[in-house]
Amino acid sequence: MLSFRFKESFKTALAMTTAYGIALAMDWEKPYWAAFAVAFIGLATVGQSLNKGAMRMLGTLLGGLMAFVILALFPQDRWGFILALSLVFAFCTYMRMGDSHQYFWQVVGVALAIIALSAGFDPVNAFDIAVLRAQETALGILVYSLVTVLVWPSRTEPEFNATVDSLASTQLRLFQAYMMEMRGQGGTEQGDALHAEAMQNQSQFSLLLDAAVTDSFEVWEVRRQWRLYRAKVEEFAWAMASWRDGFSGLQGLDLDALLPNLRDFDEEIQARLADIGRMQTGQSPSRQPQDVVLRPDTGQIDGLSHFQVAALTAARTQLQALARVTRSLFEIASELHGLGRAASEQREEPRSTHGFVPDPERLTASVRVMAILWMAYLAGVYIPDIPNLVGFIIMSGSIGITFVSMPQISASILLLPLSVSLLFAGFVYLLIMPSMSSYFELGPLIFLVTFAICYLFFNPRQVISRQAGLSVFAVVTGITNEQQYDFVSFADSTSMVMLVLLILVIVTYFPIWIHPRKVFVQLLARFFRSAEYLLSTMRWDPDGTPTRVDLWRKRFHTRELATLPGKLGTWVHTIDPGILGHTPPQQVQTLVNHLQALSYRMQALLEARTKPQADFLVQELLSDVRAWRLLAQRACGQLSHDPASGRHATFRSELDRVLNHLEARVEEVLNRATGAQFSEMDGEHFYGLLGAYRSVSEALVDYAGTASAIDWARWRESRF
Amino acid sequence: MQLIPSEFVIGGVYFPPLLIASFLGVVAAWLTTQLLNRYRLSRFFAYPPLVLLAIAVIYTVFIGTFIIPA
Repeated sequence: MLSFRFKESFKTALAMTTAYGIALAMDWEKPYWAAFAVAFIGLATVGQSLNKGAMRMLGTLLGGLMAFVILALFPQDRWGFILALSLVFAFCTYMRMGDSHQYFWQVVGVALAIIALSAGFDPVNAFDIAVLRAQETALGILVYSLVTVLVWPSRTEPEFNATVDSLASTQLRLFQAYMMEMRGQGGTEQGDALHAEAMQNQSQFSLLLDAAVTDSFEVWEVRRQWRLYRAKVEEFAWAMASWRDGFSGLQGLDLDALLPNLRDFDEEIQARLADIGRMQTGQSPSRQPQDVVLRPDTGQIDGLSHFQVAALTAARTQLQALARVTRSLFEIASELHGLGRAASEQREEPRSTHGFVPDPERLTASVRVMAILWMAYLAGVYIPDIPNLVGFIIMSGSIGITFVSMPQISASILLLPLSVSLLFAGFVYLLIMPSMSSYFELGPLIFLVTFAICYLFFNPRQVISRQAGLSVFAVVTGITNEQQYDFVSFADSTSMVMLVLLILVIVTYFPIWIHPRKVFVQLLARFFRSAEYLLSTMRWDPDGTPTRVDLWRKRFHTRELATLPGKLGTWVHTIDPGILGHTPPQQVQTLVNHLQALSYRMQALLEARTKPQADFLVQELLSDVRAWRLLAQRACGQLSHDPASGRHATFRSELDRVLNHLEARVEEVLNRATGAQFSEMDGEHFYGLLGAYRSVSEALVDYAGTASAIDWARWRESRF
Repeated sequence: MQLIPSEFVIGGVYFPPLLIASFLGVVAAWLTTQLLNRYRLSRFFAYPPLVLLAIAVIYTVFIGTFIIPA
């Protein structure tokens, strides 16, 4: 039985050899462009590869079109040409780091650089070069697609179904674990492990869905329902995370007494999740979802403090949200398996269309990629005899666009795979290929080399090594019908690759110095700046109309608040342990976790703030709430200037003082309130808001506690 | 005294002496900075990337002048 690794490597090698063979038989120039297409679209299943192939083809066409426009606008103006090229290239980089079609935009950028630069230095043949590039890319895609469809076809559907099944089962176990944790019957370890598993399943499901839509008619037929299901799965994950985040406020409460039908509710949600899993394996559900509303026992609640009531109200709200989303999931799963039509009434929520909100990380990457392109171009203009000038600028841009999109990766890690690839390709080119006289000899060599590279670097984490190996092999050997062997050609390719690497190293320091230690602190400062701004927006008059600029700034900071903890998480593992001193490395991860909790709670607070409140409460508690807001705002402002400045004990005492005073005032005001002034809905909204104040305060104190355990003096020391 | 260093010949391929000197200079500078990091001496520099470049240049000039055989 052949392994999956063997089969995939064999398929890529076969496609590469065939693509080379056809390009040579057609007597096309630069057959390695077809080889590039094969090397870069190879993925695990037919659907994934076809998707990537389509992206590559469309990207090449759009890139070619953009190149023609630039060439037509700046035919004899080299500075105008490179300015326009670098700006469009920067735009492609910005889009490449977005949420969708990343690969498409990468190919647009690369094809643009290849066609515009090749043709810019040879304007007479510009059109021929663009056509050649497009047709060879199409050839590579066609050959690879045929090979994946005909040789050991590996469909996405079985893996997709297994992932959906596994996701449903993990959701059920996660709900059970969180329910136990809320009741104080279990630790957090199981919940953490299941949460990580659910996130992994969710991203795998999302990835496989697009592939399954392409290579499975059954999935394609109900693709809208599947996309709706994906949106609901994300909603479920968010509701679960928000629910769990409020557990700390429920400690010590007898929840089964406070919420008498909690057990029924628990059973109902579990039954729904179990039935969703059953339906995904083709079985009928055991029952239909029942309506279940969590009702508190008012007699029991009277004995609680206002903040405890607030925590309980928040938990109830989150559980009701979970009930809604599990019902939707159940209905969509029914429709997907032909057991109902209810889901067709649901629609994906339209995307927010509030205009452009820039992302600083994507803008930074765009600036860096422009710097790479300009450095390579200026080197070409002012330094004589740069080897293979056009190839050098193209390679700088093509590798640069990937490099700047992953700023956590150091340029130095490219040195080893590139050096080994160069030596290996040089060995083949100088010592083996000269003894060959026909494609019957060259073909098996291409096959063996491609197979060996794919087999050795099969692991997804080795993708850079695999792609470096295949592309350097194609560039160094320069296979063509009029093959020449020259050491100078090899030396030129080697110098070119090393110069590209040098530019990438320079760009690590200039124009923006990317150092994990510095970036981490900058991101922390940005997080607190956004938190401070958003807290300040709470003073806005709910009946007033903010200006468009104010709304735009609020959207920008809201997105910063939601995304920065995730961005910080990607830097945690790149922090050099040498700068931590005696601080254990896990402390940094804990810091990021606390920041994530603060982010969730701030978002919950902003949402709670949008709900209408009873007028008399607003008037009576205005000054107390303002005191809390100013204190939290000052704390965030202080942390934005110096994320290490938080003192756990000081934060704790100040926030406790303000919150205790607030609670006393709430008690006093509510005692005076009449039934007409304070409806049940008002109570729910008010306690939701009160709980949000409390949980944001707790999160700030937790952050300060973790931050004070890090040796920031050591962290700030300069290092090479 | 002949002050122009001679070319290197590796497998029949001639390499310019400055290429070899700069390669060795960069390696020596990298080793030096690792030691400076190790003993926390890097904290005395305001902008380490520039210092790395300066050390590499100093080593390259030194190796090119005194070590590469004339």
